[in-house]
Amino acid sequence: MLTRAVSSWVTVVACLLAVALLVAAPRASHAQIISPDLGVSLGARKNTALTVSVLSGGVQSIASITDGAINAFSSPVRVQTTWSVNPGLTGSVQLVAYFTDPTSALAAGPSARIASSRVQGRMATGLPAAFTAFTGVGIGGVGTAGASLRLFSVNITGPNRNATRTDDLDLRLDLTGQPPLSVGTYTGMIYLRAVTM
Amino acid sequence: MTRIATTLARTLIGASAALALVGVATAEAQAGIQSNIATVTLNARKNPVISLTAAQSALTLAGGITDNSAVNQFPALAVTLDWTLTGGSSLQLVGWFGTAAQALANGTNFIPSSRIEGKLSTAAAWSAFTGAAVAGVGVAGSSLVLENIALTGNLTNTASRSIDLRLNLAGAPATVAGDYTGTLNLRAVVQ
Repeated sequence: MLTRAVSSWVTVVACLLAVALLVAAPRASHAQIISPDLGVSLGARKNTALTVSVLSGGVQSIASITDGAINAFSSPVRVQTTWSVNPGLTGSVQLVAYFTDPTSALAAGPSARIASSRVQGRMATGLPAAFTAFTGVGIGGVGTAGASLRLFSVNITGPNRNATRTDDLDLRLDLTGQPPLSVGTYTGMIYLRAVTM
Repeated sequence: MTRIATTLARTLIGASAALALVGVATAEAQAGIQSNIATVTLNARKNPVISLTAAQSALTLAGGITDNSAVNQFPALAVTLDWTLTGGSSLQLVGWFGTAAQALANGTNFIPSSRIEGKLSTAAAWSAFTGAAVAGVGVAGSSLVLENIALTGNLTNTASRSIDLRLNLAGAPATVAGDYTGTLNLRAVVQ
């Protein structure tokens, strides 16, 4: 009787173990399944930046023009140029100043004009170290033929791929040898734009 | 093992393609980049102006004074007028002496402006410096309008003139020996 009871108990325990193994066995088998690898491409662009701003001297004036002479504007134009470019893809940064019409840089009416050849600029820290007329061509699609002046050109290397520079642009009218101007207030606009080459 | 290698290869190809695309896009974007446009306004005022210049600052009667005669003619005086105006009908060149009774002086001996005459070299008639001031320019009794230019279509122009001056001592008392000096003032005025 006792032997039968023990035997039954053993049988029960054996069954429980068998069930436990059956339950555990599938788990061990599922742990070996591997999903396909998923590749995710990551891209992040640092956009190039190129800005020009006039820090001071945005309005230049001559109170009274003297005919047949050089007439300097009162103060320099302080220009700040900032860029962030890829040195492997950008050779240089250039700053260009220009008028839209070489025959009419400043005008006081339809028949009272001052040509851009009579307006001169100088940037001691740039390319026109001496006063130079606005008679150049456009550069890199920037400027007007016959009315442009390249102010500086900076070769881009690793160290200066991100940079800011500040320059003073001096302006004057050279009316030497010109007929007297008609009376009036002559106004005009110089455009400043940087371009990468 | 084969599956892992395949997956790795696919991933690398995808990443390379992605990098290549980024590179191409960057190269295109950095060629000829233009900044914003900054501007500078220019203002320059041309005011109305009349300028008068003379080629000589001193005239001397080389042969000396001849009393009781009008032959005392100075060398011609060359003057240039430049003007830029907005309006007006005439531009007048006025000459005058500061004191009518003492146009030229030799100590306390004087030649009055009435004995000094002037004209344009191209004109025939002489006139004495005995007129009134013109538009506030000159002195009453010792002034003379030497030129009168009509301003019609020439508000901006230049003109050169030659002016003759002489002492007309005909009928006047004899002058006292010595140097007579004086100043002829010239000014242009628009009316």
